[in-house]
Amino acid sequence: MFKAGRSTGGESANEPLGALADEELMQLVYKGAAHAFEVIYDRHAEAAFSLAMRICGQRALAEDVTQEAFLSLWRSRARYDRGRGSVRTWVLGIVHNRAIDGVRRRGVRDRGVVHDEVIEAQVPAPERTELEVARREEAREVRDALEQLPKEQSRVIELAYFGGLTHVEIASMLGTPVGTVKGRMRLGLAKMRSTLAHPAEAMR
Amino acid sequence: MSARSHDPFDEDAAAYVLGALTGEENRRFAAHLEDCAACREEVARLQVVADALPLAAPQLSAPPELKQRLMGAVAGDAPDGASGRRWRGVRDVRASRGSSPGRWAMGAVAALAAVAIVLAVIALAGSGGGASPRVVRARVLAPGATASLRISNGRGELLVNGMPQAPPRRTYEVWVQRGGAPQPTDALFTVSGSGGATVAVPGAIAGVTAVLVTAEPLGGSPAPTSPPVIVARTG
Repeated sequence: MFKAGRSTGGESANEPLGALADEELMQLVYKGAAHAFEVIYDRHAEAAFSLAMRICGQRALAEDVTQEAFLSLWRSRARYDRGRGSVRTWVLGIVHNRAIDGVRRRGVRDRGVVHDEVIEAQVPAPERTELEVARREEAREVRDALEQLPKEQSRVIELAYFGGLTHVEIASMLGTPVGTVKGRMRLGLAKMRSTLAHPAEAMR
Repeated sequence: MSARSHDPFDEDAAAYVLGALTGEENRRFAAHLEDCAACREEVARLQVVADALPLAAPQLSAPPELKQRLMGAVAGDAPDGASGRRWRGVRDVRASRGSSPGRWAMGAVAALAAVAIVLAVIALAGSGGGASPRVVRARVLAPGATASLRISNGRGELLVNGMPQAPPRRTYEVWVQRGGAPQPTDALFTVSGSGGATVAVPGAIAGVTAVLVTAEPLGGSPAPTSPPVIVARTG
């Protein structure tokens, strides 16, 4: 689903490194190359910060979470496993975990809903490179796929993924039986999968 | 689906990839996955969607201060914390908890050493202060590029080959280091179509411990705003 993280240029002052794929850059990051790390940051900061904002709903917390996530990536360089997916997926996974931990720890209320601060912060970044344009397009597709679901399905997926709530907590919040929530999750994800698969196939 | 032998797990895959199982359920389902190819397949199928979900968040620009703080902290981790105050581009603006901005510079240099496509520092001629030229091989960031510093009659000249063009609206700038922070020079240069350049290092080379090159705004910069792309150590 994620496209390979190869630069189309212009995204960083580290131009020579900009030509390297994420996985190649990680080899340099393992060796302590701060400038390779910077390129990784430049490529994924927007998605990472956006995810953190969506989960935390507060700019200050989202910034802290994003910074912690990237710092942990820098400090525990050894843990990226190529077999586990793209660097982007891995980075966003770290951000997700940290953000959910953050909202739990600080007792942030209304988890899983879109906060005003997120809406206010929607000053879209200029789409400078082909890569960024492609990423925005990809983001739109995912958002559309989620929004096309029946509300009860998108709701449980959002509460789980962006709210960090268990299906039991969601069931109690919505007043529905436990099995129903799991079933909605399964139907929703399966539907999203087929929605996301089709446009990609149509392009080929 | 309810007719399958592992009924209790039928609906778990989706909740599992969303991280929505309770701790105990999660442990049991993970153990079940070891033995059940069908559930592993279902998890893999749905994991693709879960991996895409971050993009369902409204996409926002990351604040520039965030990068400054992060890179400041990264620089603070660098093993070589030598002094230097010129690398302001990545200063930790909010809280400079003991991490001097100079560390970023030194970290970048140290990192460059690790990347080094060209490693050897070769003294071709005698190391004494004789009249014969001495050539120091530089460390160059760009793959396939080479650079050397030719020292002759107390002057330095940088010879560059195969360098990529500086990024748009940027030029290369030469810096000299005399033990402390890199000092700017007025030597700004671009490279030819084949990536070649010959650049005189301004001033006497005596006392200079390293010559560095960074990509800077077109008019040059009084302080480096990006990590060095070439480092030639004279020592």
